[in-house]
Amino acid sequence: MDTKALANVKGIRLVSPGRTEHAPICHVYASDCMSDILNHVDDSTLLITNLSNSALVRVVELMDVPGICLLNGVEPEDEMVSAAARQGAAVLVSSGGMFETCGRLYQAYHEGIIAT
Amino acid sequence: MINNAVYTIAGGDYERGGSASKSLKDMLKKLGVESATVRRTMVAAYEAEMNVVIHAEQGSMHVAVDPSQVDVAVLDNGPGICDVELAMKEGFSTAPAKARELGFGAGLGLPNIKRNSDRFSIQSTPNQGTQIRFTIYLNAQQTRETALNSVRISRERCRECLLCLRACPTAALRIRDGGPHLLRHLCIDCTSCIAVCDAGALAMPSAEPLPTPADDSVLVIPGSLLSQFGDRVQTDHILEILAKLGFGQVRFLEEWDYALRAAVVLYSREASRPRPILSPVCPAVVNLIQVRFPSLLANVAPFLTPLEAVREELTAPHLCIVPICPSHHTALLPKCLLTHREVIQAKTMLDAITAQVSDSPPSDGPYGPAQVPRGVLQVSGMQHVVKVLEEVENGRMDYETILELYACEQTCFGSPVWKEDAFVTRARWHKEARVFTHRASALHRAGALSPRPGLRLDSDMARAIEKLGQIDEITHELPGRDCGVCGAPTCAALAEDVVLGRADITACAFRGSKKIPNG
Repeated sequence: MDTKALANVKGIRLVSPGRTEHAPICHVYASDCMSDILNHVDDSTLLITNLSNSALVRVVELMDVPGICLLNGVEPEDEMVSAAARQGAAVLVSSGGMFETCGRLYQAYHEGIIAT
Repeated sequence: MINNAVYTIAGGDYERGGSASKSLKDMLKKLGVESATVRRTMVAAYEAEMNVVIHAEQGSMHVAVDPSQVDVAVLDNGPGICDVELAMKEGFSTAPAKARELGFGAGLGLPNIKRNSDRFSIQSTPNQGTQIRFTIYLNAQQTRETALNSVRISRERCRECLLCLRACPTAALRIRDGGPHLLRHLCIDCTSCIAVCDAGALAMPSAEPLPTPADDSVLVIPGSLLSQFGDRVQTDHILEILAKLGFGQVRFLEEWDYALRAAVVLYSREASRPRPILSPVCPAVVNLIQVRFPSLLANVAPFLTPLEAVREELTAPHLCIVPICPSHHTALLPKCLLTHREVIQAKTMLDAITAQVSDSPPSDGPYGPAQVPRGVLQVSGMQHVVKVLEEVENGRMDYETILELYACEQTCFGSPVWKEDAFVTRARWHKEARVFTHRASALHRAGALSPRPGLRLDSDMARAIEKLGQIDEITHELPGRDCGVCGAPTCAALAEDVVLGRADITACAFRGSKKIPNG
């Protein structure tokens, strides 16, 4: 799937599109624990997290993460959006919490709204 | 070719935290390192870097890359870690609220570094700082540390005296086709065979000329080196000679021995530890436990052996080490790009000193005994060590708290590289209570010791049972003289060789002759 398709999922809004030459997203990983995130994300993983800070952008940079999805409708700071954009990572915001967002993505995948 | 770099890390600067790792990433990408390897390196480097940002005021990341590996050392001046064993446990963290808000402080950092690297060590001193070193190999088939050993064989020198067969505690030797043949998966790198081989067929790696030390070279020697020159030579005189040879900075392996002992004594205070506690003072004995006494691995205190600790702790750019047994050599085999390590053979060092030594007034005082604290039992000499480990395995020694087991007689003073008698040299060393000016550390062993499958007959247990039956059968057919003429140390060893396809039954010269009754 590409990050733009994700914006078709209910409650998810695309704030800034990533670079399209990124590898397509094949996995979704949701966590707020930095060590777990480091261990599980790569250049084809959409990262879903409540963390919205400079450390998160650093992880995006170091692990080549193609997209991050923030939660609970939290509006990311401009600085963060532009930093993510410099890394070519898409930024999305979901209106729901982590559990709900994962559920919506799962459902959207099974309904064919997003495809791998 | 080695590419070196140093990046500074500012403590408390969460905004810039990760910039050192980013620089490292850029370097690795330019060098064309595979992306999966870059990823692993980044996990380890970022975790280590954020540790500095979170806990220390300042630190640095030292990196060296060559075509085979990436070496990283992350040093800081932070508060240090009081209990490294605890810190290595998943879920333990002392990170402040600020770090936790950012998603750190889950207590997974150190385990994460270890998991994502191929070699990992941590040294920490409370109120002084922490040093994390890790290595990531760039090609998958890198030789594992445990698969290596350092006994050198010169077959043409063998006189077939068969002494080595009997000396080997793990029955790793055979005499085949006129020379020794070492079953390397069984060899524990001790000195038993070297000590009995007068012909020189089994030996330590051969001597090279003495290297010219750099200005900042640190020389690490075993204390036993100083006592090899008789009673008429003061040890300080030898240190002067070493200084003249360019080795102004000398450290003693004993410093790490004592640091280990202190750490093990502290470790033993916890009531839950399996008893008796085996101190990993001698790498050959640790190997022996891995091969022959795997059930006792839990009793080994989780620290690196003193020489491994030297290797991991000293970050001097030039390090010269005098190893005195094969297991020392093996401990020095893993390449380190951050420190230029030079191995000096004991013989080379002895010759260089002997050439300059002159008699001086003998040092004061009588010979001294080795000081061993109450609660520590020191056992040396392979035969004794094996017996004691058997006793421990049979549950007959649980009252002793700490066992220091050395493969060589009289601890490292009995290494076959020395010509002087071990009892004398050891007493000579203890004549003066040398005060060490530097502080050495005991390093926590990050990975648990695992059994070495050397003794296993087959990876499939059903087949192993079958083979064991065949071995028993053949052993019964053999005369039971254990004469060694076939080239195997015992009749049972020959039977095993036959079943495993390493020898033919016709090797036995006495097959069919009268059976020697057992016992």
